Amino acid sequence: MTDVTASTGETPNLVQRIRRDYSPLVIGMVGLFLLVFVAGAAFTDDFLTWFNVKTIIRDAALVGIMAIGLTFVTLSGNFFLLSMKEIAALSIICFATLMSADWNQWGTIDADPTSWSLFMTFLVAFTATMIIATIAGALQGALIGLGGNPIVVTLGAAGLFFGIGSWWSDNLVVSYRRPHGAEWLGTGSFIGDIPNITVAFVIIAVVAELVLRYTTFGRQVYLVGANRAAGRATGHENFGMAIKCCIIASVCAAFVAVAFSGQVSSAHVNYFSSEFGSSGDMTIMVIAIVMVGGNSIMGGYGSTLRTSLGAIFISSIDNMMVLNGFNSGARVLAVGLMIVFSIIVFALVRRGSRAVE
Amino acid sequence: MADQPLLKLTNISRHYGAIQALKGASFEVGRGEVMGLVGENGAGKSTMVKIIGGFDPGFSGEYFYDGEARHFKSPTAAEQVGIAIAQQELSLIPTMNVAENIFLAGDGVPLLASKSRLAAMAKPFLEEVGLGHVNPLRATNRLSVGEQHLVEVARLIAHNPQVLILDEPTAALGETDSIRILEMVKRLKDRGKSIIYVSHRMDEIFKICDRITVLRDGESQAPRAAAAMDVNSLVELMLGFELGDMYPARKPITRNAPVLKVRDLWPDGIVEPISFDVYPGEILGLAGQLGSGTSEILGAMAGSTKTRGGSLNYKGETFLPTRPKDAISRGIAYCSEDRKHDGLFLGRPIMENMSSPSLKTISAKGILSGQRELRTTTENAVKFTVDPKRLPQEAGVLSGGNQQKVALGKWLSISPGVILVNEPTRGVDVGARAEIYQILRDLADNGAAIVVASTDIQEITNLPDRIVSFYRGVQIGELHLEDMTSANILEQITDPFHEAGIAVSEKAS
Repeated sequence: MTDVTASTGETPNLVQRIRRDYSPLVIGMVGLFLLVFVAGAAFTDDFLTWFNVKTIIRDAALVGIMAIGLTFVTLSGNFFLLSMKEIAALSIICFATLMSADWNQWGTIDADPTSWSLFMTFLVAFTATMIIATIAGALQGALIGLGGNPIVVTLGAAGLFFGIGSWWSDNLVVSYRRPHGAEWLGTGSFIGDIPNITVAFVIIAVVAELVLRYTTFGRQVYLVGANRAAGRATGHENFGMAIKCCIIASVCAAFVAVAFSGQVSSAHVNYFSSEFGSSGDMTIMVIAIVMVGGNSIMGGYGSTLRTSLGAIFISSIDNMMVLNGFNSGARVLAVGLMIVFSIIVFALVRRGSRAVE
Repeated sequence: MADQPLLKLTNISRHYGAIQALKGASFEVGRGEVMGLVGENGAGKSTMVKIIGGFDPGFSGEYFYDGEARHFKSPTAAEQVGIAIAQQELSLIPTMNVAENIFLAGDGVPLLASKSRLAAMAKPFLEEVGLGHVNPLRATNRLSVGEQHLVEVARLIAHNPQVLILDEPTAALGETDSIRILEMVKRLKDRGKSIIYVSHRMDEIFKICDRITVLRDGESQAPRAAAAMDVNSLVELMLGFELGDMYPARKPITRNAPVLKVRDLWPDGIVEPISFDVYPGEILGLAGQLGSGTSEILGAMAGSTKTRGGSLNYKGETFLPTRPKDAISRGIAYCSEDRKHDGLFLGRPIMENMSSPSLKTISAKGILSGQRELRTTTENAVKFTVDPKRLPQEAGVLSGGNQQKVALGKWLSISPGVILVNEPTRGVDVGARAEIYQILRDLADNGAAIVVASTDIQEITNLPDRIVSFYRGVQIGELHLEDMTSANILEQITDPFHEAGIAVSEKAS
């Protein structure tokens, strides 16, 4: 019924383009979120101090990097990895164990934090962790690509990874001595006072967005996510996409695990289940970010840029609530509300667009 | 026809955002009348149907039912006064049995009813729609698609509607099931029901409709008696201009060496392995009804349907594609019959749809070249008369005809040597249909080999240069241009073994 929309020739300005491309509901929701953000910022003491902002961008970076990885899985139409925190748990155990391993010490112990010997220790542990994460991602991706249900596959994989990590570490805290090479990534900063992990977040966000927009791989992610059957019919099989996207998500989770371990110089399998974010559960937190960012759960629509903004938004709200003395229950509630709210809005928008057809 | 129509809509307007779907259109249907509603895709038929059925309360204009002004807020409200819609998409629950589906709404059924009780109650409604032979206790998904459509109608009739709207009831049906639908319409009419019949099929419209309302660009023409019109004048009304011969002229073809040899291909759903040759420059038609196996054969040639064995020989290479990628990389394009399922990425821009099979050729070292993509997609869009200005729009906003053009047009980007098309014009309006035929003919004239499978008897008679016919998974015969009459083809695809007295099952064993 819509064959009369042929453009009139003139290029629309920004406001017109936003009104054309987004439904009033979405604009309203973004407006509401912005309002909450601005009001919160204005009425919360100490919110806009550099120290606090630094905390926010550091927290946002950790969950944000993970969420960017997960966005690839979601965009490609493979739902979510429910094993994000378990991949991180296995990774952090692997990393910390290798950091403290006797055979992996490459020089005198009291060297300065950036010395060659500490870097070598870090590099070996980091590389091994990434290899393990790649295997974990490829395993899940292959099972999903063969037709396994993503929920079932990743729930099963979650138990597998957590079990290995827990067994390996005897369910104990694995700590290693400062100074160590991971400090640079965890707490260091080389551009002014901006945490290095935040710099990494920005770089990863930009690279991810460029990959999605301008590479054949990125285009395939969108196409396979938008319609898997049509993707197959045009020569883009989900098998390969599922493996690649799951590897990206797993590697991002492992990277965050390494950075977090660098902050606390230790590791425990429960770090991402109990001591993290507002709800304490990294997987829920990361999925919340992907959802609040407005990425389609069915795939094919969204971007990592949206995810990045979602990460900053959720971290800020969480931080405001902490500063205003809300307990963790209230903060979990807030995250839950945001997820439900954005799901409803996007579901309504989809239904609206179907009526037009 | 009674003096006062049962249902009367005047000056109906409806717009979605900037799009004006209906502009002051009028519509009426009398008691015991079959009213045809025709128009190109995008003319506003679906919107009109939705408004009548109460699915779309956001319209302006007058709506009279039985002399009373109405404005239904929901489909249920319309149903209660006796207006029922059979939609194109089935809304049956496949795993439940037929009787349960008929009484799905649960009204008029005792609180506790045994299966046999339901079955007995369902029987008259099944007979009404010509499904007297179907056991009401059968699971619905064991019926053919056509029978399922009829069950859907039976469910509506169980509510005793006064007005029944059939929205393209035969679009997905073969010849036998279509005839059942038409007979049912006649029976209902004899019992004094009013029927609104929406269809693209001209022959049906003329067979059963008393009067015809034409919609064009959201405006309505005054209803005319079907007897006072013929196909040409109706098409002219729909298009607003005269349409020449819809089917392009065939050029003589010299068949020297086949470009593609299909040998012992045995897709699932086919009784025995089949073989045939395709020559460059020709359009080969695979004729057969729904379930004859033609879809499976095209699917197997493209690697998208499972195959038990066989091979293709193309450009000196013998292979059997096991996934679409295998065929695409060799220059074999395949456009399935269901563009929404696997032909289009509805939520993505048209440009991305057009370039989707050829990401390699528009990129270098994995990086997409925006310029190259724009150039090739614009070129191909122009060939398929899709406005290049619309390339950034989502494919989902296009009308059926334009969607089909995009689904087909995307394959030009791989410069295919063989193009396989299943139902090239399903759900496509007359104007776009002629364009698609012309494009296919041009491609063939430029040396491509085209294989078309179709259940539309007019299309299969007039488009191809040669026909291979199929009946229930068995290859029947080959027809050359001089023997390609509708009668010959119909005989081969509906009842080929009748004269010989051999049952299909015997031949199969």
